[in-house]
Amino acid sequence: MKLTAFKRIFLGGIAALFLTALASANPELAGRWRLDTARSSALDGWHTMDLVFDLDGSQISIKHEMRWRRTNYRATNIVDTAKSVASDKFFRVEQRHMAVYPTKGGVSHTTAEWIDADRTLRTETNTPVEVSQGDVNMRITSEYRIGEGGETLVLIELHSSRARPLVYFFNKINEEDAK
Amino acid sequence: MNLMKRLITLFSILALCAASLARAGEDQKSDACCAIEEGRDAWVMNFDGDWKVASGLAEKAMLISLQGLTNRDAPRLYIVHPPDFQWEITGPLFEFYQRKHNVDFTDVATADDALTLFSKYAKGYVVWDKTVGASLNVAFTIAGLKDAVVVSEELIPLVEKHGLKQIDDLRGDFVDMSDAAIYQDSYDKYWEQCSHEKIMLLGGHRGREMQPGVADWGIKNKMFFHDLSANPKHPEELALTKRIYQQMAPGSFVFGWHPYGKDTEEQATTLLSSFGFKMEGLHNLPNLSFNSQFTFTKGFKFTNNHRVARDAKLVAEEKVYISFVQSDSIGIGVWTKPGRGKLPFGWQVTMNWSSFSPAALEYFHESATPNDYFIGGLSGPGYMYPNHIPEDRFFLLMDEAKGMMDLLDERIMEIMDNSAADGNVGNTDLTKETVDRYYKAFPDVLGFINGYGPARTRDLRDTRPMISYDYYIDPKRPRDAVTDDLNELITLNSKRPYFLLVHVRESNDVNSLVQVTKELTGPIEIVPVDVFLKLAASKKTYTTRYQDPDEPKHFEGF
Repeated sequence: MKLTAFKRIFLGGIAALFLTALASANPELAGRWRLDTARSSALDGWHTMDLVFDLDGSQISIKHEMRWRRTNYRATNIVDTAKSVASDKFFRVEQRHMAVYPTKGGVSHTTAEWIDADRTLRTETNTPVEVSQGDVNMRITSEYRIGEGGETLVLIELHSSRARPLVYFFNKINEEDAK
Repeated sequence: MNLMKRLITLFSILALCAASLARAGEDQKSDACCAIEEGRDAWVMNFDGDWKVASGLAEKAMLISLQGLTNRDAPRLYIVHPPDFQWEITGPLFEFYQRKHNVDFTDVATADDALTLFSKYAKGYVVWDKTVGASLNVAFTIAGLKDAVVVSEELIPLVEKHGLKQIDDLRGDFVDMSDAAIYQDSYDKYWEQCSHEKIMLLGGHRGREMQPGVADWGIKNKMFFHDLSANPKHPEELALTKRIYQQMAPGSFVFGWHPYGKDTEEQATTLLSSFGFKMEGLHNLPNLSFNSQFTFTKGFKFTNNHRVARDAKLVAEEKVYISFVQSDSIGIGVWTKPGRGKLPFGWQVTMNWSSFSPAALEYFHESATPNDYFIGGLSGPGYMYPNHIPEDRFFLLMDEAKGMMDLLDERIMEIMDNSAADGNVGNTDLTKETVDRYYKAFPDVLGFINGYGPARTRDLRDTRPMISYDYYIDPKRPRDAVTDDLNELITLNSKRPYFLLVHVRESNDVNSLVQVTKELTGPIEIVPVDVFLKLAASKKTYTTRYQDPDEPKHFEGF
């Protein structure tokens, strides 16, 4: 099919609109969020969790700041609402008393999108994990739902291997308060 | 009464007398065949739960030191702790001594009464400085060597009332000195006179509360007391610990526990394991000076609740097999909680108690339900991390362990090496070299289990599987989360049979686990751990795996 100039402009516009939609982001997500442990699913092998979001176009950086006793652990997952992201360093908020480990050298694939009028960032990750019978895939669907006013965040995490979701409630804090 | 009636009455009386005599004879025979030990007199004190330096500690420290001296050559003084004390068995064991060892206890109500009875076993007193925690350990060392009771200054009038003279006074001696300097001073003065086969790492609680419950044992045996850190952040303390360890006899015992806040259990245990020493915890383990002087009752023999013959061959079905084990020493935790016996449970026995506390082991054996099964551990003849045991010590230590397992009728060895772990999470795996050594050292076991938190070391050689824990039940974790975790493991490990070994932390209660098991999905069967290992030997659906050198280690050495 031969495209006329008009058709090219029209299709380009449609594509631009589509990509814009994919790349649209809710700036309220950016910043530091601290887990409300009393309201949340119980962490296992972690005592505290902060999430720090950075938004750059369609790319979203999700930094996990975890603490267990005196151990502080930092891990960042990058997702992109415009494309699937592959990573060999995907971090899962593990239930650390389960023998479920990241597969050595395993590559995780994550897609992301904004839904619910950009109130929710939804991600889906397929991540290989090592269990006692070998390596298997775990699909993790996460919804980061921004509360009205932008001061609260709920993370609902569903595993393909788990019947009930893990639900984590966060409050926004500024960096000064975090120190 | 006519003659006939008189005769009937006479025969009746004679018959009754004969029956009574016969019964008396049976009773005597019964006593003879099940003779309980010849009795002895002893005394008992009841402690409360106040171990604060500002209030209850001073008197308890004095009494525990008195206990160590009083029990030096005979078991005289026993202490019962409240039911919520970490060692929950002091009450049940008190009852056991009366019932099985025929001990006739007399209550001792106060410290004053205790000194009235037992000050004759002391030659004097040593004063510790309540503002310097380490001075209490120095005082305990002196107490053992010089037969002194340990007092803080407010107790001086009390002990002097009982005729005791001051042997030493540590008040003001250690002002502004570091722990390293204090123990160096103590080492210089006392180490040569102390036992070189046993040492007391009297750490645990520090600061406003201390629980030196095991000090009686150290005093009885003239041990060197300290709470030196094994943390590389305290290089002087670490260096002194190593210097002391280097002078100790091969296969020595380290009693007590690591000092909270200064170092970690992992650091302390790794260090002593690297010398091939055996740890016997904890810092608050009570009454060893008493318990160690009893043997098993006459005719007693350990017989474990084996559910499967040693040479049996079982075949696993297409099921999920679950087994529960508790490994924190059965003197603490789940054993005394309601619900025990409702599920098959493996219990790791502190095997050295066959020497130090035989009555306790006999009590556990006696009170075991058919669902309670004893296993050996932890890692050897004491608590130790096998990845760090020197090769020239390993097989000698495991020979000791095998001897105790035979005595205790145990067929499974439990292993734990948290040297690379982060508390009860992280890397708890065994190197292949360590696994090879266990297989060589224990040709007759049913198998091995490994871990504390979850671990990934697995193997199967001939009929002996080595299975690591796939799950650790944190007592604080909500039960619905435990259920979900276990169900998730069952989903992820989708081949059948799946062998799911679960470690139950000491303070869980069994009733809550019963509920969890009812909510698991799939073809579940909960089996005793001996059956579990036999089944795991029949169909290997688990991978063979050892510690991977590339995996992160939380602690990499000193």
